[in-house]
Amino acid sequence: MRCMRPVRHSLADAAERHLDDVYRYVLYLTRDPQAAEDLTAETFERAVRLWHRFDPARGSERTWLCQIARTAALDHLRAEERRRRREERYASLAERASEPDAESLSPWLRQALASLSAADREVIALRIILDLDPADAGRVLGISPSACTTRLSRALQRLEEKVGSQRVA
Amino acid sequence: MSPELVAVLRSETPAAPDALRERVAAVTTATPPAPRRFTARRVLAFAAPVVAALSLAAAVAVGLNTAVSPGPGGESAAKVAPPAAQDVGAREAPGLTFGPIDEAAPESSRRSAAPAPGAGRAQDYRATLTLLVDGTGELSTTTQKALRTARRLGGYVVAVSYSSPEPGEGTAAVRLRIPVSRVQAAIVEFSGLGRILAQDTRISDLQQGLDELTREIRRLERRAATLKGEERARLLAQIARLRSQRAQVNRQAAFATVNLDLTTHEPKEPAAAPGRLERALDDAVGILLAELAIAAYALIVASPLLILLAAGLLGNRAYRRHADQRLLERA
Repeated sequence: MRCMRPVRHSLADAAERHLDDVYRYVLYLTRDPQAAEDLTAETFERAVRLWHRFDPARGSERTWLCQIARTAALDHLRAEERRRRREERYASLAERASEPDAESLSPWLRQALASLSAADREVIALRIILDLDPADAGRVLGISPSACTTRLSRALQRLEEKVGSQRVA
Repeated sequence: MSPELVAVLRSETPAAPDALRERVAAVTTATPPAPRRFTARRVLAFAAPVVAALSLAAAVAVGLNTAVSPGPGGESAAKVAPPAAQDVGAREAPGLTFGPIDEAAPESSRRSAAPAPGAGRAQDYRATLTLLVDGTGELSTTTQKALRTARRLGGYVVAVSYSSPEPGEGTAAVRLRIPVSRVQAAIVEFSGLGRILAQDTRISDLQQGLDELTREIRRLERRAATLKGEERARLLAQIARLRSQRAQVNRQAAFATVNLDLTTHEPKEPAAAPGRLERALDDAVGILLAELAIAAYALIVASPLLILLAAGLLGNRAYRRHADQRLLERA
């Protein structure tokens, strides 16, 4: 049987096809539309520099872009955490300037998602919103497919609980 | 998993704003920077085969080089065949040695292979003959024949050692003193007692020392003739000592020492000398094995450090992954 090697497109094509996915993933991770835009742009800037290392045989373009986006988002979250600690240390507890994307999400869903951890939102974004299979999602998260499925199941269970309580309220 | 909730999540998927779309399009359509030419992976991918090829080339070169130069047992090694009977004394050599006989030489030449002592010169003549005989019965007979031959030729037996540790197998070592004038005949007779396995003849010149002793005695005698009393007695005693010494050397020169080793053990055939190609291959394989041994040694020495490094990298990776997960759970 002849093995077909995956086709490698240009990065511009890949960006056009997967921009929304990367943006949604980063938005779910950060819950900050402005940060999501910046991180999405940064993801593609990094992708331009690393494009020569992309190997279609090791994963799809979307998986590869999500891995870069995750690294960028984690850097952002670390920086955010440091900033928050610094602000707490100086007793200037400023409210987060960012607001979730109010236009695209229902308020009850937005609040329910906000009450979840970024880890839960991340797996929901990858598996439900981006519709990645467990293997690809696990590759992005650095875990096994079965661990990814377990993590998704727990995240959805928590989301259902939050949605239920939101609706009751 | 609630299908309804999943459907809601999928229906409410945010899209990237147009501004972001334009921003990303501007980034991705720009010319990407040229990748680095010499990455660690590329250097390693190039260096590994180059090092392997150099090692192989060095091994082959050394193998070919040693195959061309004559080896100790190689084809071009000179075979030392004992010369035929010759007047060693005429050469005035202080000592001559003739090694083991050439096994390939015909039997007739092997029988007369021992050099003759020098006529008219005092020499220390020593010969060793190793003979193969069939069984212990013949070993005993041959030993007795050798003793009889020595006596018949005017010689005498210094020592005899006979050993037969197992039935049918045995060795005998006979040390004989044969008059120098008849040693050639004795060796010819001894060589007919069995198959010659080895022959070693050593001749050392004693004449020079003998002449010096004679000159010294004459000088002391002339001096003693002019002296009287205690001084003369002292010189005469010294002359007597020197004469005794000269007589001892003369006795030594009058008889040759012949060591006769008889054995029933068939010697093993020596391994055929390897050919040039075989030697080249052997040497190349030897060099490669040495290189592998050095590489293995280096690996063994460096392995604790490599293990520590790998453990550190794995630990750091696990720690970072754990830290990322905690960060995501907090965020």
